Amino acid sequence: MSSTLDRPALGEERGFWGAAMAVLRKDLLAEWHTRERLSTMVFFVLLTLLVFNFSFELGGAALHQIGPGVLWSAFVFASLFGLHHTFAAEQENNCLDALLAAPVSRGAVYLGKMAGNLLFLLVVELLALPFFALFFNLSLEAYLLPLLGVFALGAGCLSAVGTLFAALCSNLRLRELLLPLLLLPMVAPVIISCVGTTAMIFQERNPEEYFPYLRILGVYWVLFSALSLILFDHVVEE
Amino acid sequence: MSSRLSGLFAGLVFLSMGLALYMVFIYAPTEAQMGVVQRIFYFHVPSAMTSFLAFFIVFITSIQYLRTRQEKWDQLALSAAELGVVFSLIVLITGPIWAKPIWGAWWRWEPRLTSMLIMFTMYVAYLMVRAYGTRPLQTRRLAAVLGIVGFVNVPLVHFSIELWTPEQQLHPQQVSLDPHMAYTKYASNLALFCFFFYLLHWRCQLEKGSRLLAQLRRQAEALLPEEKR
Repeated sequence: MSSTLDRPALGEERGFWGAAMAVLRKDLLAEWHTRERLSTMVFFVLLTLLVFNFSFELGGAALHQIGPGVLWSAFVFASLFGLHHTFAAEQENNCLDALLAAPVSRGAVYLGKMAGNLLFLLVVELLALPFFALFFNLSLEAYLLPLLGVFALGAGCLSAVGTLFAALCSNLRLRELLLPLLLLPMVAPVIISCVGTTAMIFQERNPEEYFPYLRILGVYWVLFSALSLILFDHVVEE
Repeated sequence: MSSRLSGLFAGLVFLSMGLALYMVFIYAPTEAQMGVVQRIFYFHVPSAMTSFLAFFIVFITSIQYLRTRQEKWDQLALSAAELGVVFSLIVLITGPIWAKPIWGAWWRWEPRLTSMLIMFTMYVAYLMVRAYGTRPLQTRRLAAVLGIVGFVNVPLVHFSIELWTPEQQLHPQQVSLDPHMAYTKYASNLALFCFFFYLLHWRCQLEKGSRLLAQLRRQAEALLPEEKR
């Protein structure tokens, strides 16, 4: 999987950031070759929107009430796919062992993987947004900028905890089932804050009103990125 | 703990339980507005405090386990997590029983109740990780990581739900209790804390015993000739 990587010359060492970038580059390249993760995630979001539309008869007045919840439910469930793939893909041919045997900090591996998940999730959110607008006859121009901000924060929080938990679950039996069980209660503050903020953006409220939510998202992101960076070593240790 | 000390502790649990039950049902006056159902308070609130204590112990022992890798911390974490789940289940059962006549509904999506439910699901997932691990040493490390991350999340869950439903804050924020009621609450707290530590001690002993047994079994199997294994 990593054969396409340009390896540093013998004796040359990558620093912490260089190693993280290398992991990120490897994941992006692998995804570029297969495009399996992005395509399934985007398609899943579309299908979720479809199912929710039949369940709630979205559109009209109901959309503003439950639209944000629908959007974020779709993102969170889609993120589970992407996150599971992060370490599941590495288990073929024991790639993970090789990755961990590299003489770089484990924190750098976490950071690279986390950045990859963050990017994938952001791309999925951006690709799904036009469909959301199209299906439910919503003109998004006025909301676009604040929405992008919430998307970035939400994706950051989801990938910070999600990457750690994906690594954790890759060592367990029933890993596909356990990842949602662990992650969903854990990201409850993220879901609440993102849905709350998105709803307020659609209602064209003053940004000051949703600032408390953004503060929770910011604290969550910083706190769990730092904690995951410290704890990742214990998760992948052999 | 020696058996004599353990017996003394059991006596203390028995006495404090008896005292608490006497105070809850006979000594404490009946609340004027809520009536007799309010007496569930003396089980509900101390159980909540005990479950918080249990999860705090999981947090501390998880840190200690990752630092020192001594098995005793892991045994404590597992035992405390199991007990914490049991006590939070008591909170989640007694809460709705109390809420039905007072709030008019079994369940309201109210900050404290919702936080408790999310915390409960988080630690049930923790126990599942314990159950579905493949290698014991690895599973202990993973559980310790989860015990730390999960506890740090608790205040964030609470703050976010408080923002979500500010008008729904149904739990009283400040309670001034009649002295009789306050003493009864202290007695209930004391009884449940004693009971918790007593159970924690024995759950740890059980875990220690079962791990020793598993180890002996492996050693015995290794001694058997190949065809009898």
